[in-house]
Amino acid sequence: MKRTHLILIALIAIAVAVILSTAGDSSSYENFQVALENPDEEYHVVGKLVRQNEMQYDPVKDPNYFAFYLEDNNQKVMKVVHSGTKPQDFERSEQVVIIGKAGNNQFEAQKILTKCPSKYVENEVKVKPVSGE
Amino acid sequence: MIGAVEFIGERLLPGNLGHGAVILSLMASLLAAISYFRSEQSSLIEDKSSWLKLGRWAFIAHVVAVVTIFLSLFYIIYNHLNEYHYAWSHSSKALPVYYIISSFWEGQEGSFLLWMVWHALLGLVLMGSARKWEAPVMSVVSLTQFMLSSMLLGVYILEYKVGSSPFILLREAMQAPIFQQADYLKYIADGNGLNPLLQNPWMVIHPPVVFLGFATTVVPFAFVVAALWRRDYQTWVAPTVPWTLFSAMVLGTGIIMGGMWAYESLTFGGYWAWDPVENASLVPWLIIIAAVHTLLIFKKTGRAMISSMLLLLFTFVLILYATFLTRSGILGNSSVHSFTDLGMSGQLLVFLLMFLFLGLSLFLWRRKELPKVGSEEHILSREFWMFIGTLILVMSAFQVFLTTSTPVFNKITGSNIAPPADVISHYNRWQLPIVILILITFTYSQFMKFKSTPTKTFWLDLMWPVGISLLVSGFFIWYFELTNWQFNTLLVAAIFGVIGNGQLLIRKLSKLSKAGAAFAHVGFAMMMWGVLISSAKKEVVSINQSGMSYGENFDDKGNHENVLLWKQEPLMMNGYRLTYLGDSTSAPNTFYQVRYEKLNEKKEVVDQFVLAPFAQINPKMGLISSPDTRHFLGSDLYTHVTQIPDPAAKAERKSWKDPVPFDIKAERTDTLMVGQQLMIYEGLSTRLPADMKAKAEGAEVAVMARFRIRSLDNQDRILQPVFAIRGGAVLSFESEDEAAGIRIKINSLNPDKGTLNIAISEKIPESRDYLIMKAMVFPWINMLWAGTVVLIIGFSISVMHRYHDAKREEARGEA
Repeated sequence: MKRTHLILIALIAIAVAVILSTAGDSSSYENFQVALENPDEEYHVVGKLVRQNEMQYDPVKDPNYFAFYLEDNNQKVMKVVHSGTKPQDFERSEQVVIIGKAGNNQFEAQKILTKCPSKYVENEVKVKPVSGE
Repeated sequence: MIGAVEFIGERLLPGNLGHGAVILSLMASLLAAISYFRSEQSSLIEDKSSWLKLGRWAFIAHVVAVVTIFLSLFYIIYNHLNEYHYAWSHSSKALPVYYIISSFWEGQEGSFLLWMVWHALLGLVLMGSARKWEAPVMSVVSLTQFMLSSMLLGVYILEYKVGSSPFILLREAMQAPIFQQADYLKYIADGNGLNPLLQNPWMVIHPPVVFLGFATTVVPFAFVVAALWRRDYQTWVAPTVPWTLFSAMVLGTGIIMGGMWAYESLTFGGYWAWDPVENASLVPWLIIIAAVHTLLIFKKTGRAMISSMLLLLFTFVLILYATFLTRSGILGNSSVHSFTDLGMSGQLLVFLLMFLFLGLSLFLWRRKELPKVGSEEHILSREFWMFIGTLILVMSAFQVFLTTSTPVFNKITGSNIAPPADVISHYNRWQLPIVILILITFTYSQFMKFKSTPTKTFWLDLMWPVGISLLVSGFFIWYFELTNWQFNTLLVAAIFGVIGNGQLLIRKLSKLSKAGAAFAHVGFAMMMWGVLISSAKKEVVSINQSGMSYGENFDDKGNHENVLLWKQEPLMMNGYRLTYLGDSTSAPNTFYQVRYEKLNEKKEVVDQFVLAPFAQINPKMGLISSPDTRHFLGSDLYTHVTQIPDPAAKAERKSWKDPVPFDIKAERTDTLMVGQQLMIYEGLSTRLPADMKAKAEGAEVAVMARFRIRSLDNQDRILQPVFAIRGGAVLSFESEDEAAGIRIKINSLNPDKGTLNIAISEKIPESRDYLIMKAMVFPWINMLWAGTVVLIIGFSISVMHRYHDAKREEARGEA
């Protein structure tokens, strides 16, 4: 067998390994039910902030504890805790993606991504008050 | 009212001019592409040259049109013509001039325009330098310009929106009742302004460099197409090499600049986050670096023609793919960047597939004719290991490409794969071994010769650098207490890269023009060295040690990386005494001054500086925080504000206790206890300081009382409230001291009794200001930046060297 062929085979083997590892490492967008059933797996959960339940963040007491309630796309509500500060402008978020594991009847989010309806794209024309000219 | 409204005050000329120029640029580029095509295809000399002339004039007309578009849009933004949607949505009057430039390319249309401007300029350079390759190369460049121009068109063709015009009017872009009024412009106060995150000096320079990097990849692509088209498989390489090197240099510089921007102005704490947007331009960069190496193999040995062509074709296609990913909104949930979809994803996809098809089909058509070398390389030859190196680079690119493309995969198959939960370790698993292999391969292969190397001298030559690298890295592992074996291997490889290539660099110093590769390799190895130490030993130093309760059920495994600093209350952190001094606002930013005092063992201050991380409290985006970094030679101290008291709540919150009235004798000194502090009344005076005099101007009576507050720390503070009567009305000016937390006001004077009635308020302690911040130390990060500079020097030397090379070859060919 020629060396070129050996290299080619090695290359294909690595490519397959890369594909498998990508598939293996990837998480998936799931709901709380799935996360609760698999407490060891990390998931991305997409949902909406439940505004009726109060958020818990008191920086004076502890700047690294933030808890809130999230409703997933199947309307299941769960408490989410995060070891860090409250993301700025969290109240205004339209959609929240949390990444982490479920356990103890709460979801421990390592990361919180918020999607605002339009981060900076303004869709309304603001009108300045008419001055008495 | 019947008919259209006559709007007042709109300045339509620059928009019409710009839009007209878009149409002209589209037509001219199409004409140029066709003329150049005909010139290449025709067999008669006269036809060839007349088509060539037409192509040139058409392309020059196109350049004029592109410059006109650019200037029209710039005029609109610079003069804040808010009747235009682009100016209104990306700029505002508050922006300084250099950020007006950034707002130019904040929008998609502006960034396409920037790309087009670069292509146009490159086209002019090619027109003057490509000589016999001009016709086919310019035909391809003109075709890309046609596609790019169509992105700015903004017209509907058979219900499909083609392009998005930057010259659209605000009233056309949005529906609002205000636009019923003819004089609506009077009510539009100002534009929306630039995204605060982009208001950073790096954002002025980073996009033009990245887009120049993007734009230059079209040149090698066009040369490959030209070579296949013309069936000339030899002479295209010489002019292509310097272009490819130049493109790799500029694109690499642009990517690093993006990292510097992230490090200087974003708060994720680092320069690289494996974000899809970063990856999208990293993939073509890896491929073009691979192409640089295969081209050199071809020049030296005649091998690797096929792989050079394929790599260069894919570089450009991957640039288009990067544009597609970042501009189509497909990344959605997986990126921190948010790009809005302007409905052009279909058009971008057509653009991408068209050039993929053009390149690949031409390649497949000609594949049998392409020159090949039948025999295998010698195993101890530089070309063999260079080729192995390019394969590793391709694998690296493939891995990044695959993970970054999951949103595309989801779109096609309807699956819901999310990116890996721990992105960093996912990429590290592959990229760490890959970079180790690359560092080792590119170092020892430099000790080999092309064709074949004498075995004995090779191993002897290699002995010294290997030995020294092992010693140096052993020292580093001991000094930084590195324990991770993968990191240690990378460290050895990086140091081997620096020392091995450094040795070759010293040898080549007499022939500097040939030292490009050695410089570039040393630079890259230095970068990896810096990356390794700065990320392996990156340390969050603001660990919260206050031992708070973390709520029931809360598994305490998170890192408590944020600390709370009360205003004026020092806190020890990592050998520093931190004091939050206060804030100052310079619109739109608020700077939070934090004093750092480095203490020695005797608690003496040995070094002192103030860092002022700032934040913008943006009505649309909330708190936008930006870090401030203290640069030392050996490390950086990086800090940013993560949270401040809610300004709205702060305004509502009661911060002073209710005032308590007291009567005191006007003529006598008196002493009162206020909380824990002593307050001494020292008497009345009618001699007012100048500012008070001005306030009490024309008053019949004006007196000032003097109080001395003595705090527990034995510091005296003076409070001087003023009382005046003007025209029978009482004017009372209170006096307060923030640090003492006391405010005094004179309520009334009673001349009959000889007393004055004062009101004393105390500050509620909890209402003191605080901030929550995070601080990190990045050791050895300067090694990364220094390596970048060395890498760029190496590229520049190589570009020059290969450019002269190509000139010489051309002269030989003509002779």
